[in-house]
Amino acid sequence: MSAVLKPKSKAIVCDGNEAAAWAVTLARVDMVAVYPITPQSSLVEYLAKFVADGKLNAEIIDVEGEHSVLSVLHGGTLAGARTYTGTCGPGLAFMFEPYLRTPGLRMPMVMSIVTRDTLTPQSVWGGHQDAMSVREVGWIQMYCETVQEVLDTTIMGYKVAEHRDVMLPVNVCHDGNYLSYGATRVELPSQEEVDAFLPPPATNWHAALDPDRPMAVDPLTGGAGGPGPSMFVRYRKGQCSGMQHALAAIEAAHEDWARIVGRRHAPLVESYRMEDAETALVTLGSMTGAGKDAVDEARDRGERVGLVKMKTYRPFPVQAIAKALSGVKAVGVVDRSVSFGWNCGPLYQDVIGALQFATKRPAAMSFIGGLAGADITTDHFGRVIERTQALAKDGQVGETVWLNEKD
Amino acid sequence: MGAFNTISFLPEHCDGCNACMTACATAKTGAPDVINSRIQIVADGGSFELAMCRQCGDPKCVANCPAAALAKNDADGVIDWDGTKCVNCLLCTVGCAYGGIVHNVAAGHVVKCDTCGGDPICVKACDRGALKYLTTANIYNEVGDLEDLFVPGLAGCQGCNTELIMRHTMRRIGPDTVLATPPGCIPGMGSVGYNGLTGTKVPVFHPLLTNTASMLTGVKRHYKRQGREVNAVALAGDGGASDVGFQSLSGAAERGEQILFICVDNEGYMNTGMQRSSCTPFGAWTSTTPVGERGTGKTQDAKNMPLLMVMHNCEYVATASTAFMEDLYDKLDKAIAASKRGFAYLHIYSPCTTGWRFPSQENIEVARKAVEANFVMLWESNPRDGLQLTRGVEQPLSIAEYLKALGKYRHLSEEQVGHIQATVEKNVSFIKGLAEGRHPSMAQVMAGQA
Repeated sequence: MSAVLKPKSKAIVCDGNEAAAWAVTLARVDMVAVYPITPQSSLVEYLAKFVADGKLNAEIIDVEGEHSVLSVLHGGTLAGARTYTGTCGPGLAFMFEPYLRTPGLRMPMVMSIVTRDTLTPQSVWGGHQDAMSVREVGWIQMYCETVQEVLDTTIMGYKVAEHRDVMLPVNVCHDGNYLSYGATRVELPSQEEVDAFLPPPATNWHAALDPDRPMAVDPLTGGAGGPGPSMFVRYRKGQCSGMQHALAAIEAAHEDWARIVGRRHAPLVESYRMEDAETALVTLGSMTGAGKDAVDEARDRGERVGLVKMKTYRPFPVQAIAKALSGVKAVGVVDRSVSFGWNCGPLYQDVIGALQFATKRPAAMSFIGGLAGADITTDHFGRVIERTQALAKDGQVGETVWLNEKD
Repeated sequence: MGAFNTISFLPEHCDGCNACMTACATAKTGAPDVINSRIQIVADGGSFELAMCRQCGDPKCVANCPAAALAKNDADGVIDWDGTKCVNCLLCTVGCAYGGIVHNVAAGHVVKCDTCGGDPICVKACDRGALKYLTTANIYNEVGDLEDLFVPGLAGCQGCNTELIMRHTMRRIGPDTVLATPPGCIPGMGSVGYNGLTGTKVPVFHPLLTNTASMLTGVKRHYKRQGREVNAVALAGDGGASDVGFQSLSGAAERGEQILFICVDNEGYMNTGMQRSSCTPFGAWTSTTPVGERGTGKTQDAKNMPLLMVMHNCEYVATASTAFMEDLYDKLDKAIAASKRGFAYLHIYSPCTTGWRFPSQENIEVARKAVEANFVMLWESNPRDGLQLTRGVEQPLSIAEYLKALGKYRHLSEEQVGHIQATVEKNVSFIKGLAEGRHPSMAQVMAGQA
């Protein structure tokens, strides 16, 4: 293994796609399979270049579509490789068949979703609809606010995925356009730091393809009678329990990262100026920055407003969000995607579900913005705050508000 | 003790011309008097029977001999007669049920066939195809001791050709293998298994129907990276290869992945109820191309999968049939070797007794007729030598002779048979043209120069 990185952490300027490629390099990934799609394309170009330049010592496989991207990685993972890819939008849709299978086989891989709005209307711009469409498939989903968080979370993703109590695939979601192309200063950890954080992958002997240890992977399971149905239930229950164990594993990984690399991110939810808040915003992804600015402006005006950022969306940190929002009078949940069946945002649904467990249950309203690359500005957040403050006064939950409708 | 080569007699091809006997007598005595031939063709009503030494495995002639003048030769299986020991008691002729050892007046002692040292002149003299020297015993001798890598009792249909293909191919490929069996008959009969029990002794998995070649890519690349020699092998049906699995197959072939992909072509989705695939031939009944007042079976010709794979410039592509096992094993060996350098694709025809509607005991005969009628052509191709026929296509069996063996063609009109005949002739002309270099531009493409 050639030492390619300087021993000390250093500052670079890069966008989210390059940050993800650096994370893959530092995580000593064995295999990447790639297929380009906007706004992910530069990510796989960086990976190819890093391999060509000798920075990234991995098998890189340029395949003929996203379906094969994930399928190749399934093969690699079952042979014991640490694997990575990234995709979004229509590519994620095309990948769906193997994607669906990944958590059931308990494959500990990391895949970036460079979030993009889904077709149709035809669109190549950012939005969370792609990632949200697969929220119930069984992958862990973490959403990033900044380019730095993209880099750090992608590395932490392996620690979570490969945790013996978890063994599930991780999606690190970073917003198309805003994070994929937005260049900022980023602290690049040293290889030594990352090696200290992330041990080499251990072979996953519950599902592996090795002639030295022959095993049938994924026989038919189920059917009426015999051992099938109960066996199937045990697989499913085990998968759900791995998902719940992920909450602790994510917190532990963030703690280890803070200890070794010296940078701390909130693992499940981040509470921003929530002390004594009467009104709270709930945000996801890169919009959080503008949301925090709007909260600062409101605080400057003496208003008791705070913000809760969702970092981990699957598994949904029910207790953490219930605790964070307990005691506020009203909550405004801002989604960058739509639940077509319920005319609101999907995060909103999850939040009001979790609020069942809050000691004091606030009213909540759904706001949808940032579809297909639209900007959610501090002005938009100002409107969200205003409307949520009205909700705090009268308790009247109104219709879903579409933020960019009249831009 | 191994198996031995043998002379086989096909009475339906014999017309009693006596050429074999003349040749034998001349070779053994210098004169063409057929009474001295070691092979005797005997007229029996309208047909012919063979009286000749079978070189039995448990020879009664040897048991009967009180002088140890007869012995089974362990090297070639021939029962040798030793004139220096023979006491002319003729007890051996009493023991033989085949008229294979008889007293010869001219010689003054018993005579019998010695297979001319493994190059029998009677077979060479027979131009009717009634005598064949079968050398398939080599296969048994070479692979008979290799472990069958599937458990006994796979749940295939009675007389399943696909099960035969699975057991033969994997036995040869060996245990250092990761085997992919996409949904279809192959896992359906229990190779990957049910509820925690498996039917395969090597690492085996269900890929999706769509991603066999891609999953194998990942397996193979990681083992290569680790410096481990592991065969990545697919046993896939024609549906998983030619239809929904074609994209990943094409991608892996184009990238030259070191995979051995075996397509077991039973001309449709036989496991799930006999639906049409793009490998289903014109006119065939399937459950989705049914025959009725307006339905006449499939209305399109089959996709030529192996030829499409040739156009991917694969390291090796070949067609094979279980009716021609020496040819199959020869190609399997080449495919295994080629898969260590690049992509190898083997297309093995597998008549399906259940889905094609014919009695299970006729499976190998159906496979043979398909080849003899040129419905299936046996060839191989690599980028250096181009495409070569491995079996002649002259004097084919009539296509009607093949079609009538199968229930799935029972409804065919004369016009449909004519279409199939024309398609077969076109295919023969095209493939023969490739073999003879009559399509230079194609040859260039195949040689990767286009």
